[in-house]
Amino acid sequence: MKPKIVIEQVGYHYPGRRQVVEALRDVSFTCYEREIVAVVGPSGCGKSTLVSLIAGLKAPPSGRILVNDSEVSGPSDDVGVIFQRSTLLPWRSVVENVELGLELRGVPSRVRHETALDLIRKYGLGGFERKYPHALSGGMQKRVALIQTLAFNPAVLLLDEAFASLDAQTRLLVEDEFVRVSREMGKTVLMVTHDISEAISMADRVIVLSARPGRVKANYKIQFEKGRGSVLEVPSLPEYSEYFRTIWDQLEVSGVSF
Amino acid sequence: MAAVTALRETALLVNTARGLVLLAMALALEVGVSRRILDPVFFSSPSQIYTAFVTMFQSGTLQRHVWITFYEVALGFATGAILGTFCGLLLSRLRLVARIVVPFFMMVYGLPSIVLAPLFILWFGIGVMSKVAISVYVIFFSVFIAVYMGALYTDQELIDAVRVMGASRRQLFFKVILPATAPQIYAALKLGIGLALIGAIAGEFIAARAGLGYMIFFATGTLDTPTVYLGIIILALFSVILQEGVNLLGRALVRWKFYDEK
Repeated sequence: MKPKIVIEQVGYHYPGRRQVVEALRDVSFTCYEREIVAVVGPSGCGKSTLVSLIAGLKAPPSGRILVNDSEVSGPSDDVGVIFQRSTLLPWRSVVENVELGLELRGVPSRVRHETALDLIRKYGLGGFERKYPHALSGGMQKRVALIQTLAFNPAVLLLDEAFASLDAQTRLLVEDEFVRVSREMGKTVLMVTHDISEAISMADRVIVLSARPGRVKANYKIQFEKGRGSVLEVPSLPEYSEYFRTIWDQLEVSGVSF
Repeated sequence: MAAVTALRETALLVNTARGLVLLAMALALEVGVSRRILDPVFFSSPSQIYTAFVTMFQSGTLQRHVWITFYEVALGFATGAILGTFCGLLLSRLRLVARIVVPFFMMVYGLPSIVLAPLFILWFGIGVMSKVAISVYVIFFSVFIAVYMGALYTDQELIDAVRVMGASRRQLFFKVILPATAPQIYAALKLGIGLALIGAIAGEFIAARAGLGYMIFFATGTLDTPTVYLGIIILALFSVILQEGVNLLGRALVRWKFYDEK
């Protein structure tokens, strides 16, 4: 398997008023092509920092990050990010939002408009092309954000608590759709989440980070004897509770243990 | 349906009541002044005000006063709004320059326009230009502050999201920061238009040859009370019309807030 995201001994400090805050220390792991990797950890462990670093939104002070064999030095065409909050531009309609990535790359307006409309219809949002984001539900906004990212076709998708703001049912449906689409398109996915269940249900591998400063504590391959079905089915598989317990214990959630 | 009908009936009631209040006030003034219950030096009856209106309208002086004030406010408004937007956006990009300059801006902003009006008249003469300058001054600062702060505090997550999609600094500015600041610009223009009118009228009170402020001030001096009232009424209507103009402009700026589809 081809390594897609390589993280080598990455450390990161936030400058603080009194003292610097160490967010990440000596983090190393690799995501391979077409893999879905979840990073879980207690809040404040530097998960979001990790996403910003891979996305090229910050320069790492120590260590190396490679995406597609080249060192990250800024935002790249290979990486798309889906954030927790809606980051659709509120003054653009759905189709104009989906076009944005192509527009920034100078794709002619007719071409990008057609591409955007095709994608919107393909993912079941036909009829909402000209709506503004505020008129859409949270789940729909998330779908539009996904389509927006797929439109400029990055090989790597980063998810920063992408589904945390959705209600429970919508969330499962959007997660399931996301897994299907990203597998179908052969994307490499790195998702950070605080939700163990989400991590096990969606990812091929779960990496546990320690409390601040975040360090890699454990790395679990998630496998199911009968194969995994949809995201909705995973929690009813026999291995699920075993994984859940192991990861929970690793997270040391305020001393509570199974 | 019943609720809608009830709402319409309430609206009808409110409008009728408002009309009656206005009519009652006009009637009271008319009777009060003609019967000498109210002193005509301090009050005017609607018929006197109407006569003043007809006289001034036929001679064309009224139109001239309205036009002069409109010209002062509109020219000042446009110039100040453009300058304020430009400086606000520019200084939000030039952090170091902003740190040096903005405190001085805030110092000048704190001065009431009425205090600066005499100075502007000294600099730009008693004609139209000094009032334009006062309007520019008032609008400039309210627009500058709104745009500067808005651009400085544009939602970082929105900026990050568009940056990872590959936006250059220039694209970020035109596709995110500028449209994100539009609601603030609208709010600043709404605040500013009222202040600009006040500034121009204050200037006309101090020294002028024409304009609504001058007309009212001159009429007060000659105890021409109907003209004073006429001036005030026209000024009130004038202000409403200017506000509506700004509303139209604002809706064009933030049309996405008003429509689901386009």
